[in-house]
Amino acid sequence: MNKKIKTTGTMKITFLLLLAGIICFTSCTKSFKEMNTDATKLSAVTKSEYPFMFAYALMSPTLSPDNFEVGEGTVAGVYSQFYSQAAHSFPTDRYVIVQAWNPAMWNPVYTQAVPQLKTIIEGSDANSAETAIANIWWVWCFHRLTDQFGPIPYFEAGSGQRYVQYTPQDSIYFDFFKKLDAAATTLKNHSGEKPFGTYDLVFGKSANPVGAWIKFANTLRLRLALRISGVNATLAKQQAEAAVAGGVMTDLADDAYMPKSTASYNEYNGLAVTAGWDDIRMSSSMESILKGYNDPRLSIYFQPSVATGTYEGVRNGLFTSEKIIDINSRLFNSNLGTRWCSWSTVKNDWVTNYNVPQDIMHCAEAYFLKAEGALNGWSMGGNAKDLYETGIRMSMTQWGITDATAITNYIASIATPIAPQDGQSSPAVNDYPIKWSATTSMQYKQVAQQKWLALFPDGMEGWAGVRRTNLPALYPIVHSENTDLPAGTFIKRMPFLDAEKQTNADAVTKAVQMLNGVDNAATKLWWDKD
Amino acid sequence: MHLKSIFKFRYYAEIDMANRRRSPYAELSIFKMLLPILLLTASVNLRANANPGKMGNDPVNNHTMPNLAAFTVTGKVTDKATGKPVEGATITVKGESGITATDQSGKFSINIKSATATLVISSIGYQVGEKMVDEKNREVDIQLIAAGKDMGEVIVTALGIQRSVKSLTYSAQKIGGDQINEARDANFTNTLSGKVAGLTITSSASGPGSATRVLLRGNRSIQGSNNALFVVDGVAIDNSTPVKQVTDDAGSNGGGHSGSDGVSNINPDDIESISVLKGAAGAVLYGSRAANGVIIITTKKGKSGKISVNINSGVTMDKAMITPEFQNEYSQGAGGTFSAITSGSWGAKIAGQNVTDWTGTAKPLTAYPDNFKDFFRTGSSINNSVSMSSGNEKIQSYLSYANTLANGIVDHNHLLRNVFNGRLGWNITSRLTADAKVTYTVQNIYDKPGVGGDGMVAANIYRIPRSVSLEDISHYQNVNVVGIQTPTYWTSSDPVYMNPYWTINNTHRDEYRNRVTGLVSLKYKLTNWLNIQGRVSNDSYNDFISQKYANNTVNYARVAGGYYAEGTDYISERNIDVLLAGNNSITNALKVTYNLGSSVLTRGMRHRINIADGLGYPNKFDLTYASTLKVEAATTERELQSVYGNAQFSFKDYLYLDVSARNDWSSTLPEPYSYFYPSVGISALLSEMTTMPSWITFSKFRGSLTKVGNDADPYLLSQTYSYIRGGMGGYIGSSSTKSIGDLKPELTTSLELGTEWRFFNNRLGIDLSYYKTNSKNQLLRVSAPASSGYSSIFVNAGNIENKGIELMLTVKPITGKGLNWDVALNYAKNKNKVIQLYPGVSILYLGTSTNVRTATPVITEGGSYGDLYGYKWLTRNGQYVVNAQGAPVKGTAIEKVGNFNPDFSLALNNTFSYKNWSLGILVDGKFGGEITSGSAGQTAYGGTAAVTSKYRDAGSLVLSAVLEDGSKNTTAINAEKFWQTVAQGDYNWAEFFTFDATTVRLRELSFGYEFKNLPAVFKSAKLSLVGRNLFFLFRGSSILDIPGIGKRKMDFDPEVSFGNSNYQGVEYYNIPSTRSMGLNLKLSF
Repeated sequence: MNKKIKTTGTMKITFLLLLAGIICFTSCTKSFKEMNTDATKLSAVTKSEYPFMFAYALMSPTLSPDNFEVGEGTVAGVYSQFYSQAAHSFPTDRYVIVQAWNPAMWNPVYTQAVPQLKTIIEGSDANSAETAIANIWWVWCFHRLTDQFGPIPYFEAGSGQRYVQYTPQDSIYFDFFKKLDAAATTLKNHSGEKPFGTYDLVFGKSANPVGAWIKFANTLRLRLALRISGVNATLAKQQAEAAVAGGVMTDLADDAYMPKSTASYNEYNGLAVTAGWDDIRMSSSMESILKGYNDPRLSIYFQPSVATGTYEGVRNGLFTSEKIIDINSRLFNSNLGTRWCSWSTVKNDWVTNYNVPQDIMHCAEAYFLKAEGALNGWSMGGNAKDLYETGIRMSMTQWGITDATAITNYIASIATPIAPQDGQSSPAVNDYPIKWSATTSMQYKQVAQQKWLALFPDGMEGWAGVRRTNLPALYPIVHSENTDLPAGTFIKRMPFLDAEKQTNADAVTKAVQMLNGVDNAATKLWWDKD
Repeated sequence: MHLKSIFKFRYYAEIDMANRRRSPYAELSIFKMLLPILLLTASVNLRANANPGKMGNDPVNNHTMPNLAAFTVTGKVTDKATGKPVEGATITVKGESGITATDQSGKFSINIKSATATLVISSIGYQVGEKMVDEKNREVDIQLIAAGKDMGEVIVTALGIQRSVKSLTYSAQKIGGDQINEARDANFTNTLSGKVAGLTITSSASGPGSATRVLLRGNRSIQGSNNALFVVDGVAIDNSTPVKQVTDDAGSNGGGHSGSDGVSNINPDDIESISVLKGAAGAVLYGSRAANGVIIITTKKGKSGKISVNINSGVTMDKAMITPEFQNEYSQGAGGTFSAITSGSWGAKIAGQNVTDWTGTAKPLTAYPDNFKDFFRTGSSINNSVSMSSGNEKIQSYLSYANTLANGIVDHNHLLRNVFNGRLGWNITSRLTADAKVTYTVQNIYDKPGVGGDGMVAANIYRIPRSVSLEDISHYQNVNVVGIQTPTYWTSSDPVYMNPYWTINNTHRDEYRNRVTGLVSLKYKLTNWLNIQGRVSNDSYNDFISQKYANNTVNYARVAGGYYAEGTDYISERNIDVLLAGNNSITNALKVTYNLGSSVLTRGMRHRINIADGLGYPNKFDLTYASTLKVEAATTERELQSVYGNAQFSFKDYLYLDVSARNDWSSTLPEPYSYFYPSVGISALLSEMTTMPSWITFSKFRGSLTKVGNDADPYLLSQTYSYIRGGMGGYIGSSSTKSIGDLKPELTTSLELGTEWRFFNNRLGIDLSYYKTNSKNQLLRVSAPASSGYSSIFVNAGNIENKGIELMLTVKPITGKGLNWDVALNYAKNKNKVIQLYPGVSILYLGTSTNVRTATPVITEGGSYGDLYGYKWLTRNGQYVVNAQGAPVKGTAIEKVGNFNPDFSLALNNTFSYKNWSLGILVDGKFGGEITSGSAGQTAYGGTAAVTSKYRDAGSLVLSAVLEDGSKNTTAINAEKFWQTVAQGDYNWAEFFTFDATTVRLRELSFGYEFKNLPAVFKSAKLSLVGRNLFFLFRGSSILDIPGIGKRKMDFDPEVSFGNSNYQGVEYYNIPSTRSMGLNLKLSF
């Protein structure tokens, strides 16, 4: 028998080898769990990952170039009339709603900022500086969304639920105030701390990040308080006064910017990229005011046109067939300033400054908000005229205008906007002078106009201000292709997302009821009262 | 002893089946059961075989050896026509268990138990032969008749098992190697088109060698692949596309370039035959990936005898088959005015008037009717292959080398492929044989053109205004003193499009592939009726892909200096399996053939991309010059362990019962990792069971019921967080897809019924199949409301049903010495229904983007797979609605505008042979289905499409429509207003640009001459004139009859798509499909 086995030994070994493949089975599924773990990903996060997550929550909602172009540049950017649409194939300047672009701001907030903020808030001590700052940023993210749509998913945002309920805008605002108040209060107990270290991209490098966040929270609270002044004056006054008492931004050092970087495409300054793509030209509204005022910010906000070397603007809402006529064309009109991009005669194209910091919030706005509050008779720590003039000074200084005499002369100027000599032979956009007027109604207009100028290029806030107060008076768009918004009307909101109607239909239906109007771009938001 | 062990196995299997119902974990026991059996059987038989003719003294089973043979028959099997020996023919004895195969010289020897017996001889490509033997006739010569499509044909089925077609319980179709290596294509799968009923081939628009979608019996998987599985010599090969397919019309996914598939690397000259197993039934033994059907390729082997050499050389020329129809009356401009800064052609009527054009030159306005067509060159391809077969009784070898050079119709685009193939057969002992094969492929694709919108070459060509000449734009750049190139363009600035000559000269995408496929197989004949085979195969390839965008390329070279990226994808697939195969006669009438196998399949992918976004030194395309360097990395690994078995019982060779079962353990599933799926099938040969009229030659009924399980992609079970690189320390973000911890395997149930009839001595044949498949538990990534924090979630859901019939008709109207005429008709109709999706999910997108630019293929409950959704023209009470300005009003939401699947397909193949001449004509028709054309939308928007020349004057078009209040429209618009309303830049209202995708085309034409009376050195020589995709006999029109404008004929080939993913039915700036004509020479020595 042994002998026989020997002769067939080789064969036997061969088969045993083949069968080895099978033998390994029973034990081999043990390695399955490890095999099915992705080495390129983290499967859990702890506090040491929170700074990285907070940085992500900060950066994402300021929008990557692709999202900025269609999520802000072509919507709020042109609605605010800070600039007009130069891109031939884009229709949003004629109030056409492109549903496909609607998620560009929505998704980064909900899927990139909210999950990280929730994780940080839920995983940190309720009284920690980290929770407080995360809550402040939460409000900043959400106020930009609710001011576009009205009711939005808020309390259930990021809940991971299959369907997410919307919250009426008033409840959202009430929560904003609650969160900002609590956050500012909490932060007072954490002075000297550096929450999230340098991963706090906004204030991490400041000497006193906690103090900066307190001012940011209060300024945001003041902004939101004024927003509701038409619909709930009592609450508005109470919140505004509390905000000012708590300390708002007063100095350029308090200003909030989002640093941008050339290291990755999504960190590029979206506005600069959009301008480099030739999407944008100075609006006639801007031209009328800046030229009429002989405003030194003209040469900073915009640059001379490539063809004429002069500063020229275009009315919002032109057809492509009009945009190709020289006077309306890209070549003959002013792109954004050289801060964002500059024309290269070598390239025959724009060279973009990708890492220009993005403007988030400035002290100049705080002064104009206080000025308006003061006009309302609220206790704003100063009189309206002084606040108005300081606001102008701050804005000028912020944009690098250092000649104090020039600024003083500007403030004293009785100049008013002029006819911009555009393709539509438009008259002057309005007649507000710079010099503080004697009548309250004109004072409101002046504050609104200077705030509008100072807010540039934050289209979201520019658009919100015009909707709330109908000030400053801007040109009606030349052609409206949105039947809900006939000639002469101003766009009031964005319709709810098709994507939400498909995935969250019942909630959207209920949200339409909260809207107290039709789900279109003409329906006013809760705070929008004439 | 043998029967006992078989029964033992069945006994265990039955117990196990019973257990399964009680415990979900019982599947594991099958495997535990099988293991000892396999080990035991192997070792027992080794021992038994070591003692031939002696009684076994096995302590476990008291085995008895089989009776010694009554006598031994030896003989030789030859081809009746050629007289050459037939190697590998299977010899069985009717009513007995003996089985053997012929060697290289066609010789065999077999033991017979009874005094007289009938030998049954079968071999691939031959009719089954029978021969009576008795003790006096122990030496026999058997001549086999080549089979053609006859009933005795043998086909290679799952696991490489050869079976007679008549015993199959499911539909299978065979294609000979010579049917695909004459009229060739750089991706041989394209040449299968029209040759198999129920097979749909869609090629992609990325030039030679680009991936092909191979679909059998409709779409069943919503988000997985629907492509058929390719199996070469018994082992599944990887046919994935490491580089993603473009799955949105912006071309953004995959960067506008669809990856190349794996199967295209095969040298068609190495193919001996192809079996197409259309349903899941024939495929249960290949596991999950076979649920879409299997295409089994058997490659050539070495043969003993004299050295034989085959040479196949071909050259073809390719021209764009169809190009869009343009207007030639109106110039660049807008609003009826010439303008040299706009991208559109809405300018002045061209009448030779003097204008200053975009180059700044004053010249008369002229139209350039061919400025699209002339952009494309005449492509060509040259194929040369040589193969050599030689061997003796011990060792046989086959060596081949093929070289393909294919030049696409876009300048610079070409493919170079070299395939080396070596195969060695070794009869180590009379019982032990080895088969080893190595295939080495080097394939380089240069300057692969991109597809989709946004700046790819085709997009840039489509946008040339009608009054711009190619000559002018061919000066595509200015170079300054320091060598910096800037593009020239005919419009002031357009952020995503540019001069197409810049694109082809200053942007490059090259793919380099090295692929090694190896197979070693050892087969040991344990007894005459039982053998065991072990195989190890490895298929791995490395793709190196480089992408270069010169400095100043809009949209792609965003940072100064230019853009360079290089990526490697390493894909490997290793399979180890053991297969025990046997056959026994239980009684004289009842036989059983069975297989029992086990395998471990390991698949891995390693993906790395290094991106130099910005080059410190302009246009030096190497990572060394990167101003910033970015990295993308992904690695996946998965393993599938399987145990499977099947048994076929045959009763009197006219009634067959097939039973199969398989259990898989997949690393991608949650514990217990396991899923089980069985199949059963019956085949009955009516013509042999009963007496039929003499004009009925053959009659068969078959039916099968199969389940196929499927696992998922790796890493879906738990929530993850990613590190994101950045300039300020980086970020960590949670995955926006919610994981699925309780993932269940998918399940497809498939029922197939068929019948096959042959009449008048095979002059007329009909093969009819009906099938119904239901795919359930599909793993779906469904859109979540982003407000939940997730953009998508995974769910197990759905029920997709495919029902269809397939008809194959073969007729030999003329047959005789001189003229032969064969007609083959393939008809297939598939009906798909989405019975169930997931609660709350109304729509699922088949592409990656929910952004509807033109139309997008979707799935909706109650709809069918691949419904195209997009915007329609709003109607009220059946009347079109226009706004106060007289322009159309868009529907409020996206709606169904069509479906990308044809209703049915019909192909007619006529083959004539007369003396030395042969003629093949393949006409292929696809009827029904729709396609939406983004190019049609874009050319309408730009005013270049032929249809835009009507109603140019202001106020010339009053649409027959109503206003929203129901009053009749009286406001006039013009074409510019009309077309720019319905095509808003990148966003087109789908209904206006959707076409009935019906086409009937002359798919293939081959005209050959076989040289006879050749010098002795030649065995045969054949010269053919071949043509593919020659012209349309019919093509569909736009679905919308626009009042005053009418319908337009489809001016593109609907069969070309972005890639081989499920995103189909949308054309968007595609490179035209090609018509090819050429010569092919086959020589053998």
